[in-house]
Amino acid sequence: MTDRLTFDAIVVGAGPAGVAAALTMAHGGLNVIIIERGRFAGAKNLFGGVFYTHALADVLPDYWERKPPFERPVTEQGYWMLSPDSAIRVMHKSERYLKEPADAYTVLRARFDPWFAEQAVAAGALLITRTTVTRLLKDERGRVIGVDTDRPDGCVYAPVVIIAEGVNNLLTQQAGLIASDLPPKYVALAVKEYINLPAKELQTRFGLSGPREGVAIDVFGDVTLGLPGTGFIYTDQSGISIGVGMLLDEFVTHRLRPYEVLERFKNHPVVRPYLEGGEVREYGAHLIPEMGYDRMPKLASDGVMVAGDAAGMVDALHREGTNLAITAGKMAGETALAAHQAGDFSAAFLSRYRRSLEASFVLKDMKQYRRMTDFLESSPQFMGTYVNLLNEAALRYFTAHGIPKRTMEHDILKMVRERRSFTGVAWDMLKLMRAMRG
Amino acid sequence: MHAVVAIKQVPDTSNVRIDPETGTLIREGVPAIVNPYDIHAVEAAVQLKERLGGGQVTVITMGPPKAAEALLECVEQGADRAILISDRKFGGADTLATSYVLAHTIEAINAELPVDIIFFGKQAIDGDTAQVGPGVATRLNIPLITYAVAIEEFDLAARRAVVHRRVEQGIEVLETTLPVLLTVEKEIAPVRHAPLPRLIAAARYQPETWTATSPVLFDPQQIGLKGSPTVVGKAYTPPPRSGGDVLSVADLGLDAVVARAMAVIGQAHVRDLQPVTGVVS
Ligand SMILES: Cc1cc2nc3c(=O)[nH]c(=O)nc-3n(C[C@@H](O)[C@H](O)[C@H](O)COP(=O)(O)OP(=O)(O)OC[C@H]3O[C@@H](n4cnc5c(N)ncnc54)[C@H](O)[C@@H]3O)c2cc1C
Ligand SMILES: Cc1cc2nc3c(=O)[nH]c(=O)nc-3n(C[C@H](O)[C@H](O)[C@H](O)COP(=O)(O)OP(=O)(O)OC[C@H]3O[C@@H](n4cnc5c(N)ncnc54)[C@H](O)[C@@H]3O)c2cc1C
Repeated sequence: MTDRLTFDAIVVGAGPAGVAAALTMAHGGLNVIIIERGRFAGAKNLFGGVFYTHALADVLPDYWERKPPFERPVTEQGYWMLSPDSAIRVMHKSERYLKEPADAYTVLRARFDPWFAEQAVAAGALLITRTTVTRLLKDERGRVIGVDTDRPDGCVYAPVVIIAEGVNNLLTQQAGLIASDLPPKYVALAVKEYINLPAKELQTRFGLSGPREGVAIDVFGDVTLGLPGTGFIYTDQSGISIGVGMLLDEFVTHRLRPYEVLERFKNHPVVRPYLEGGEVREYGAHLIPEMGYDRMPKLASDGVMVAGDAAGMVDALHREGTNLAITAGKMAGETALAAHQAGDFSAAFLSRYRRSLEASFVLKDMKQYRRMTDFLESSPQFMGTYVNLLNEAALRYFTAHGIPKRTMEHDILKMVRERRSFTGVAWDMLKLMRAMRG
Repeated sequence: MHAVVAIKQVPDTSNVRIDPETGTLIREGVPAIVNPYDIHAVEAAVQLKERLGGGQVTVITMGPPKAAEALLECVEQGADRAILISDRKFGGADTLATSYVLAHTIEAINAELPVDIIFFGKQAIDGDTAQVGPGVATRLNIPLITYAVAIEEFDLAARRAVVHRRVEQGIEVLETTLPVLLTVEKEIAPVRHAPLPRLIAAARYQPETWTATSPVLFDPQQIGLKGSPTVVGKAYTPPPRSGGDVLSVADLGLDAVVARAMAVIGQAHVRDLQPVTGVVS
């Protein structure tokens, strides 16, 4: 082939990170190509999920006028702590959640991602789907100069490539930004079902007054058999997203099958009534990177940057990922624009990208929770023991047995001592504080 | 060589509930696809063009604006020009009205650049009538070869072609003059993985849109609901057949079996008839 296919920038992957990068660069006047392996953007993507709008507003200030396919605003949220037969539910509801555009919406990726990609196309980016990037093209000095795809005549060239390939970060490895595959200790596997329910019925069950209200619940304890991990229940327009995620390691060590764990969750006596009569319309599994700040890849090298899940940008504690991905994509895009202006695509120049991220919540939060994965791994009792204990205590507290209250209090304390010594509790709390404070 | 290919966008009814790649996903709102036979028709046209060392492939479809997606997929496969025939006035078309619109369109295309061959799919997987291709050939008054599986010879200068056609007993080898209309089986040409430059070209391509009045005028009496005499009375899934009586010739004798069968036929409305089987043993 004589004339090379050449662009100002190549983006690999049309998830939130890639589209945000493409949108930013297209707005800045660059000739951008996004290459996505799915049949359409979002075809292969899945998350819980709660989508936070602040990052979207940064890349697309008029997003609200462009009618994003949101499911429901999150107007009530909180935690359910399950023991095998009970639940402590801590929910937060506020009138302040009712103002739209809201801070957070439930979203189905098969609907959201195509819309988001369309905005990048409208801004001038070229979206190529059904095409997988198979390798990075490098020059004799090892600088990235383009990508090859699984298509005939499939090479495309650009002075800068933004890798937004998600958690299976093969290209990130190929770019030499990270050493190897994530060990199963640092990656979570989540399974999810989308269960269809008529909107009216859904609203009645969750106590919502209309389509402009929605619930997001994160679930701990028995949902993961007490092991580190979480479950979730989110209300969509006319359906429920329900799922559970645990470190891959835990599935392996405890010989658990993801779908059985989800089935068990769905059949929990407190959960089941919410799902009754619903029809499973979609199910899927997806990985979540939990490598934490200390194991993140290098974020840039000559002619290449990496953003989103591919770089491990997830805050599992607050179930945030899409907003980190969008903010990182935007910053990578801005860096590419600056690089074009300077005519410099070297690793040294592109290191600004990392500096922007360090100044933002993305790397600040990552840094703060750097010990979280290790904490949960080293303190497995946290989920199981404490949640069961709390439920037990609640049961004693809320029921009357004709015994003096003083005896009841003693009973509860005795229970705590039996299951985990006071010093053990104190130690756990300390560790938790440290993990949270960073 | 100028080939015209008529394609239809259809819902993906293959009913794949599980994503073959991840083994997990079920997608809501199944995306529409190019009718499976039609994409092979496009490929056959493109391969014919390559074989002859040049020419043009024009794809056409009558459908809603969304059908432009299907045209772009054909451009990816190598089509040079794509025309979307789209107007609310075309809505509700049966095979008669559809074949009128397509025939009239092909006549207009032919006036610009003479057409040598026209490709149709064997049938559409939603409508399933297999009538549109033959209808268009009849209206254009050109030879028709249905169930085509190969183009053995194609001689532009001599205006003749030799085409293989699948029939129940095997393959018929037919010689025809040009222009000819083929309705094709999938074997006519395997669909190739489109090269990246074609995908990029398609992503930048804007199909032409023809309405009921521009750039050519369609007869308002022959399009859409007005031009469609077919009335779908009722659509239903037929009840499974219940087993009929089995009369053994060995036990009853041939005459008795025939007499019983004739009696049943005489009593029943044909549509209510249950099978009567004579067992010779
Ligand atoms: C559920 C359903 C309801 C229907 N209801 C009505 C009704 O109420 N009234 C009515 O009149 N008709 C109705 N139709 C029929 C009508 O819409 C036909 O689908 C249409 O006329 C094409 O016929 P076909 O799909 O059988 O195509 P076929 O004849 O099976 O298609 C053969 C080939 O013709 C070509 N072709 C077919 N359609 C097109 C097109 N639009 N553009 C370009 N090429 C094309 C393709 O190459 C295709 O492979 C209905 C069809 C369906 C599926
Ligand atoms: C079960 C679950 C629940 C979650 N819940 C939440 C939540 O509630 N809130 C939240 O904000 N985040 C949540 N997340 C995290 C969030 O989904 C991710 O952080 C986010 O999707 C990352 O975006 P991304 O663009 O980096 O990657 P992705 O969204 O994974 O996109 C990557 C894209 O690249 C494509 N691709 C990959 N490789 C190639 C290749 N070689 N060639 C071409 N294309 C390629 C993929 O097909 C995909 O479209 C959740 C995740 C999971 C799994």
